[in-house]
Amino acid sequence: MVMTIARKELREMLRDGRFRALAVTVFALSVVSFAAGWKHYTDVERQHLQAQEATRAQWLNQPAKNPHSAAHYGMYAFKPKSRLSLVDTGVDPYVGVAAWLEAHKQNEFRYRPAQDRTAIQRFGELTAAEGFLVILPLFIVLMSFATFAGEREQGTLRQLLGLGVARRDLVTGKAFGVAAALALVVVPATLVGVATLAFTSEFSGLRDDMPRAVLVAIVYLTFFATCVAICLGVSAWARTSRAALVVLLAFWFVNSLIVTRAAADLAAWLRPTPSAIEFQRGLERDLAAPEEMRLRLERRRQELMRQYNVQTMDAVPINFSGISLQEGEERANDVFDAHYGRLFETHEAQNRTLQWAGLAAPMIPVRSLSMALAGTDFAHHRDFVKAAESYRRGIQRVLNDDIARNSKPGVAYVAGPALWAKVPEFAYTLPSAGWALRQTAPSLLLLVAWCVASVWFASRATRRLAAD
Amino acid sequence: MLNTILRHEWRSLSADASVWIVVAVFAGAIGYGTLNGARWVAFQQEAIAEAQQEEAERYQRHQTEIVRINRENATVSAFSDPRNPDAVGRALGARYAVLPPTPVAALSVGQSDLLPYYFRMTTDAKETILAAAELENPHRLLAGRFDLAFVIIYLYPLLILALTYNVLSSEKEQGTLVLTLSQPVSLRTLVAGKVLLRFVLFMGAVGFLALMALVVGGVDLGASGVAPRLALWAVAVAVYGLFWFAAAVAVAAFGKPSATNATALAGIWLVLVVLLPSLLNISATTMYPVPSRVEMIQAMRVASDEANAEGSTLLARYYEDHPELATGDAQQAMNDFNLIRVAVGAEVERRVRPVLDRYTRQLAAQQQVVGRARVLSPAILMQDALNDISGTGTARHRRFMQQVESYHEQWRSYFVGLIFQKARLQDYAGLPRFAFEEETTAAVASRAAVSLAAIAIPTVLIAAFAYTSIRRYPLVG
Repeated sequence: MVMTIARKELREMLRDGRFRALAVTVFALSVVSFAAGWKHYTDVERQHLQAQEATRAQWLNQPAKNPHSAAHYGMYAFKPKSRLSLVDTGVDPYVGVAAWLEAHKQNEFRYRPAQDRTAIQRFGELTAAEGFLVILPLFIVLMSFATFAGEREQGTLRQLLGLGVARRDLVTGKAFGVAAALALVVVPATLVGVATLAFTSEFSGLRDDMPRAVLVAIVYLTFFATCVAICLGVSAWARTSRAALVVLLAFWFVNSLIVTRAAADLAAWLRPTPSAIEFQRGLERDLAAPEEMRLRLERRRQELMRQYNVQTMDAVPINFSGISLQEGEERANDVFDAHYGRLFETHEAQNRTLQWAGLAAPMIPVRSLSMALAGTDFAHHRDFVKAAESYRRGIQRVLNDDIARNSKPGVAYVAGPALWAKVPEFAYTLPSAGWALRQTAPSLLLLVAWCVASVWFASRATRRLAAD
Repeated sequence: MLNTILRHEWRSLSADASVWIVVAVFAGAIGYGTLNGARWVAFQQEAIAEAQQEEAERYQRHQTEIVRINRENATVSAFSDPRNPDAVGRALGARYAVLPPTPVAALSVGQSDLLPYYFRMTTDAKETILAAAELENPHRLLAGRFDLAFVIIYLYPLLILALTYNVLSSEKEQGTLVLTLSQPVSLRTLVAGKVLLRFVLFMGAVGFLALMALVVGGVDLGASGVAPRLALWAVAVAVYGLFWFAAAVAVAAFGKPSATNATALAGIWLVLVVLLPSLLNISATTMYPVPSRVEMIQAMRVASDEANAEGSTLLARYYEDHPELATGDAQQAMNDFNLIRVAVGAEVERRVRPVLDRYTRQLAAQQQVVGRARVLSPAILMQDALNDISGTGTARHRRFMQQVESYHEQWRSYFVGLIFQKARLQDYAGLPRFAFEEETTAAVASRAAVSLAAIAIPTVLIAAFAYTSIRRYPLVG
């Protein structure tokens, strides 16, 4: 019975010219978005890879100089693009792409790609994710708003129920019918996506991305199922198909366009971000603490003299200027950790509010899961910032250590390429899919809750389905 | 006759609960949006005030220090000597170049959350100075603001359509249309009356609510430049609203049932407001991709490595180009670290310019594509108009950047002059200042007028189509 109903639904839709037109449009849009995503990804990835190699080569080719000069010369960290960013670019356009790793300072990531775009960018980017989150739900609404209400208006619902069809079979069959029609659009689009992904990577890369890619697919399928259930539920509950359409369109609008913005502003209202100038001043105030620095250095002197069992600093066999530089780094690192930690915690708190806005709109948890799995949300950016910063600290340790060991006070000291090569190459790997999911645990919970609630709503609404 | 229609229509509209729901939603959205905009303006003003305070305190500190050094004849390191023009120009005397928000900036956040509105001016390479940015949460930048412009561009047309999609079809479906037209009234007058009432209702609601919210948000309506900009804003909202009214009537003229009209209008809205802008965005960025800034960073790095290696040769060449700066004491000047730095800085900028030009060129090409294709979507035109009117668009920001660039040159040549003279600064009062030269209201109005005309022309065409085809409206069947 269920299959008969599903087949009838599907056939009816396939015969409808509007469905065919919509399906072709949605499919064409997803091909366009994958193609553009692919081109953008390959361009940027190549540029960043080349730059990363160039900055390494510049570091290694430095002429003989004092290690501290080399520390000031520094290196750049360029943010790599995750392969799945071709599905969901997430916040990538709105975070900086490069940070200068120099002595004494944790610099911000600068140059947000969105600053090099026109204002039209703010209407949204047509990524595959945007298509799945905004356009496909609308497609589902238009396909299924009349499922029950329409049959009721035509009087065929009374006939159907009179035949003794179980209401449960009816709703399952119709859901399968809508799902099959949806699959006709989604499956080819997904195949295009998988092909694009395969095209951009070697086999090993594809294997690494697989867990994330599969999870993204599951998240979106759950979302589509939620949408179908909501639409069928509303269609069964509403008196007329017109009422069903109005309710569903209003829901779609609030879900895809209103809640994200309203919640992002609300989150910033509850937990304001400091201005750059306020942040900078606070940082400078805490960095400048000569008295504390003097005490720290004095303590180190005492430690060293105890360690080497000597009475004067002159007798210590290492150069204290290296120790003093490193001590300065360590103190500054504490200040940076406190200030950047506070700033990032503010962003995280805002993002938590944003995630809980998912109580009002199922699109929100899906969006944060999609970004998290694509490696393009703030948590991933923060992870990369942390990796780049600890690499910077590593460089300083190697260089200051060399000054302490090999230079003599009062004698000009230069080091050469051997020392530069001691600094390992900067390597960053994307955290695992499990890590990404843990960062967005509330969203996972909310998505499951929405899915369960909407299925419950649909089955309840159909149980009470009135024939007229 | 029109009066009777208006009166009757008002009576039936005000008895309809859904109308009041629409008004309540609209009021809430306008209030929230405007207050959000006002909050953002207040945030910017606080940041600007803090920057200026920081500058004043720093200047005060260095002035006191100069007095002390002079009095005690103290020796200080060149890097922290507040009289050393090189140190002052590079860090100690840094001055802020500020783009103040316009008095009506609360109307639209526009690009102002993304593009920096103040820079700390020094003699460093221009690109280093211009890389500064606010610390905004990227998720918020991605979401976009819930400001009044968002309410006007997205929600306002939907609400217009919600009240107008069944303007004729509902009367036809209820059977009252034939009855009404048996009176001495033409169909055109009837439609005109219905649309006019709704239009007046919307304009009144938008105008009143937005003004209220602006006052609550702390905007001084009496400030200079506010009245003409608000008037422009009202015209923009009216023109954009008329476009959607015209679209609704044109669709109604086909004589289809209400549900079909609703679907068609929702589709038109979706295409014009959501799909076309993002398709246009993706086409422009794919056709003219702006390379990642990492290429610029690398180019600057290579240029400065090379320039540093040639430091003293460069200085000699710099003297050849600027003989007026040679003090005669060339031998000593050659060894002067400051002077080499100036020469190297100039050389780096010269070498990097072709790379930088590529970014500007690509972005300009994108802007051109968007500028041409934007006539396809009244939403994009409206975004441009609202951003221009509230001074948060790209045009005003570009003007700011041009002024900042020439200020950078002024700043640099001021300090280069002092460095070459080996002068010692005693007073910071003479350091070049920046004051943004605001564009004239006429310039703003003429730019907004172009966008609005591009909305008005299709509006007139659609209205003309509706006017002629409504004659054939099928009253029955």
